[in-house]
Order: sequence, then C-alpha cells, then structure tokens
Amino acid sequence: MHFATFILKNLTRRRVRTALTVVGLGVAVGSMIALLGVSHNVERSVESAFDIRRVDLVVMQKGKPLMTDSHITEYLVEQVRKMPEVERVSEGVVSSANAVRSDGKTGDPFLVQGWKPDNFGFEDMTVTAGRRLRPGDRHKVMLGRILAGNLGMVVGDTVAFVGVGDPYEVVGVFDSPVVFEAGGAVVPFAEWQALAYGSEKLVTGFSVRVRKASPDSAAEVAAAKAKIEALRDPERSRLELTALSPDKYVDSVSQLQLIRAVSWLVTAIALAVGVISLLNTMTMSVLERTQEIGILRAVGWPRGRVVRMIMGETLVLAAAAAAAGAVLALAAMRTLTLMPAVNGFIEPDLAPGVVARGFALTVLVGLLGGAYPAYRAARLLPTEAIRHD
Amino acid sequence: MTDPADHLLYAADVRKTYRDGDVHAVNGVTLGVRDGESVAITGPSGCGKSTLLNLLGALDRPDAGEVYFRGEPLSGRRDLDRFRARQVGFVFQSFFLLPTLTARENVQVPMFEGPRLSARERARKADGLLELVGMGGRSGHRPSQLSVGERQRVALARALANDPVLLLADEPTGNLDSANAAKVLDLLTQLRKERNLALLVVTHSPDVAERADRVVRMRDGRVVDDGTRPA
Ligand SMILES: Nc1ncnc2c1ncn2[C@@H]1O[C@H](COP(=O)(O)OP(=O)(O)OP(=O)(O)O)[C@@H](O)[C@H]1O
Ligand SMILES: [Mg+2]
Repeated sequence: MHFATFILKNLTRRRVRTALTVVGLGVAVGSMIALLGVSHNVERSVESAFDIRRVDLVVMQKGKPLMTDSHITEYLVEQVRKMPEVERVSEGVVSSANAVRSDGKTGDPFLVQGWKPDNFGFEDMTVTAGRRLRPGDRHKVMLGRILAGNLGMVVGDTVAFVGVGDPYEVVGVFDSPVVFEAGGAVVPFAEWQALAYGSEKLVTGFSVRVRKASPDSAAEVAAAKAKIEALRDPERSRLELTALSPDKYVDSVSQLQLIRAVSWLVTAIALAVGVISLLNTMTMSVLERTQEIGILRAVGWPRGRVVRMIMGETLVLAAAAAAAGAVLALAAMRTLTLMPAVNGFIEPDLAPGVVARGFALTVLVGLLGGAYPAYRAARLLPTEAIRHD
Repeated sequence: MTDPADHLLYAADVRKTYRDGDVHAVNGVTLGVRDGESVAITGPSGCGKSTLLNLLGALDRPDAGEVYFRGEPLSGRRDLDRFRARQVGFVFQSFFLLPTLTARENVQVPMFEGPRLSARERARKADGLLELVGMGGRSGHRPSQLSVGERQRVALARALANDPVLLLADEPTGNLDSANAAKVLDLLTQLRKERNLALLVVTHSPDVAERADRVVRMRDGRVVDDGTRPA
C-alpha cells in the first residue's frame, strides 16, 4: 500500500460527504475561475487591439478614466502627428450605440468607432463580405462578424442606430482578431464626429506608433510620451493629455478596473467559502476519527505523518474541486458567450494562465482549510484516543 | 538484578497521576522485563495496569520516575514515535483495526514508519505475517468481514509489522470467547518463542497468566508481587 492509497481510501469511505465537498468547493472555484477568465479576456482583447497594430502609446484626456468621457481637440492630434518622434497616429471617435435588429427589436449595446480611411485598424481586419469603407463614404457602415450575426444583417441591409436620424447602409462585414471590434461597427470618421460633438472638432482619443531609430526603443517611447503629455491647446489650456502604454492604459480604464475589482471580490468570497467548507469537512472527519488517529500514533506514526495525511486528504479534495471548477468555468463561459449581450466583448476560452491561477488559489485554499484540522489531529494523544478500550 | 542495563525494558519508580493529582493511577512502580521474557500483569480493575503498560510502551510519559530501554532512559529521547514504531508491537483488547482497510493494508500501517520498503515489499511482508497468524486466506477482507478472533489475529500480525523486540498486550483475549482466546494465546506463545520476543501482557485471565514466565500483581497503583520471589 502507498501512503497516497491510504489517503484516497480515507476520502472514499464517505463518498457523499467527499462528493458534496468537491461539488461545493468546485462551484466556488468555478465562479472564481470564470470571473478571472472574463476579466482576463476583456483586458486581453483590448490589449491585443493595440499589440497587433504595434501601438506604443494610447492617448486620452487626462483624468477621464471612462473611455467615452475623453475628448481631445484635433489641434492636439495634429501637433502629435507633426512630431518627428512619431511615425503614425490614428484617431477615433468612439461611442456606444444600439441598433434595431432585422427582426424589429432593439439589440444590445455595442461599440461604434468612427475611423478615418487610413486608420491602423483597417490593416488587420479581414473583410469577409462586401468592401471596406472608402474616402467619401456617407452613411455607410461596416459590421463586425459577431455584430452582423447578432443583428441578423448582411451586406446591403440598412442599420437604424437608435437616436440617429438617417439609417446606415451595410457595405461590408469584417472579422477582427480583436473581439470587441468583431462585436462592433466602424463608420466614417467625420459624420460620427459630427453626431457625437456637433461642430466641435473633437476626438475620443488616438493611438501613436513611435518612430524607432535606435535600439533603445523604450527610451524613445518614454521621450515621446513626455513630449505628448506636455502639449497644450492654446484655446483649451486646461485640457491635458495622458499617454500610456497599452497595458497601462488597460489598467487605467475604469470599466476594466470595475470588472477586475468584481472578479477579485468574487474570488475572495469563493476562497473564504472554500476554506470554510474544507475546514468544516476536515474538522468533522478528524473528530470522527479520533480513535483511529490515536491508533496511528500508537503504532508509531509521528505527528508529521498525521499532519501529512490530513493535509493530503484536504489537498486531494481541493485539487478535485479545482478540476471540477475549471470544467464548470469553461462551460459557464461558453454559455455566457452565446448571449448577444456579451459575445461581442469576450472570447469564450479560458486562458491557461487563468486556470493555473485558479488551481494555485485552490491549493492555497486547501492549505488554509487543512491546517487547523491537521493541527487538531496532530494534537490527539494516543492514550486519550484508545482509552475507552 | 535491579540494574536497568540488565533489562530490555525497565521502569524505575514510575508514577502517573490523573485529575490534577487526585488519582494516583501508577504510584511508584519498579519493574523490569528481560529479552525474550514473558510477564503477565494482573490486578483488580482500576489498579493501574493499562496506565503502566502505556508508560512502558511510551504511549505516555510518567510524571516521575524513568523508563529505560536497553539501559537508555526514554525521557531523553525526542523520537518516542520511532521507538514505538520499531521496537514495540501493541495489541489491544478491542483490536483497533482501521475499518476502511483490508487485513493486508492494516498490517502495513506501521510499516510506513519502519525500515524502508517499497509498496510491493510492504504488501508481501504483510501477506507473510498474515500467513503466520493463519489469516493468509483472508488478507483481502476488511475487519467488518472478519470474526472477532480473526480480527485479533490480524492485529497481532500488525503488531509484528516492523519486527519489534517487545510485545505489549492489554487484555488481548478480553473480547474473545474461550475457543478464540485459546487460539490467540497459542499463537502468541508460539510467535514469542519463534521470534524471541519479550511480552508484557495485562490480563484477568488465569489461562494467560499461567503461560507467562512471571506474574506481576498490582493493587492501587503499586506492584504487590513482582513474581521474582519464589512462592
Ligand atoms: N486519562 C485518564 N484520566 C483520568 N483518570 C484516568 C485516566 N486513565 C486512567 N484513569 C484512572 O486511573 C486509574 C487506573 O486506570 P487503568 O486504566 O490503568 O486501570 P486498569 O488496571 O487498566 O483497569 P481495568 O482492569 O479496568 O482496565 C483508574 O482509577 C482510572 O479511572
Ligand atoms: Mg485496563
């Protein structure tokens, strides 16, 4: 017999209790993994948009963590474009919109981006039907693959944006490696700017690709960042810019911060529930086995082996729960991303890193949940346990 | 004669009190057991026999006095677990087998703390010991599937798991009918001889006492007759 066999036998003797503990802990761990996964995927999809386009800096209005609250004058965009350190600039007007679906009902909100024809984004999108936006297009829209599916529309259909007067004609459907773009729409820059800001020449933000001449590109990016942040529009001297690397930008977006905060809160709750559930199960199990543990001590097991036995049992429970949780989380994400409200924002897959983090946290839960029962078991005296002979 | 070094196990004036000194369960006992010797301890219920056995087997530490193993004081050892695992085999009145384990597995439990063996070697050794106690055919059975006499024989095999030099048995036939008791006793006697084990057995049974080299009589936590004086 292996020591591990003994540990497993201790768990299988109370099948129902073991199963219930694993399921309970698995649900907690599953919700934790699912939320960490969602949060991770949302961040990744935003970050990947910039990575793919080799964006070095994302420029927004300073002090506006909500992306759609940022408003920057075109004067500043042009100043940046003129900088010798800067290779390329892509600005956009971004807002969220609703549209009427082909079945006449109003769909879920999605992102609409007003892009100029030379926007970086056009370069990595795959047009799957119809064509790209062209200079001079008016009231034309390209739908992302997922949005086209959600709205039930194809090239040639017309889209009625809620609150926008004239309908837009669908000229193309595109796929994008960036999930929220595949779930959104792209329209011509000028008319979307007019809709959002009236006659004011404003944009939501812009991306910058820094010109890299020397091997020390980090220093070049840092220099460009400092220069951009020092810029002022003489007509709007209070307007300041913040230029962040894509990963810092993702950290700063308040919607993403909220998702992250919620997922960590749920994680904390799941961990607490997990620890308590294991504490309960294992303490009960130790108390029930007082006499047996006394025998083990009597026949020469040191405290350390008793501790290893209880911790081993707890960790096996935790590992089983982590496996069950990962499966549940994947199932939950697959189900979640079938819903049009979210399929345009997150990918349905669990990143291996997230699953690994979930496992690591569950092992931590196991260590915490097993420590006290193991301590109780180690304290049992053989004479007390076998006294009632 | 009274030198700890002459004995395998030697208790020198050991004492144990319970309930904050109210109950003097063992009240100054001096007692030695030599290699291969068998000693029966008898006395009225509550006179401290089990308590003494626990002290001798290092399941408990005395409040005063000293227990010596091969002349070395046990109080100086930090690894009493190892002492129990390697030198002592315990047999209890109610067997104390683990209910989830088969006979073969029960016998292997002390082996985790014995000499290093692979899982296969442990299993083989357990089978050998079960064979020895006449339980070779029942090694895959759990305790609940065995008769009480069979359970005690499995417990005996477990006590021998790490080839101890000393067996401590607390009323080993107390839960057995006379036929089963006789079988277990025969086995105990035979194994003791074959393996040159020292045996300390607490018993109420005259049959058990009769087979011992020496009978120690206790009363009120003291030894009243250590069986060394000729009657
Ligand atoms: N853990 C304990 N706490 C308090 N008192 C105890 C404890 N263990 C034993 N005693 C008391 O110590 C005395 C000796 O007990 P012990 O079990 O050694 O007697 P015994 O001779 O083995 O009796 P029996 O023949 O009934 O088994 C008894 O009065 C008993 O009640
Ligand atoms: Mg007793």
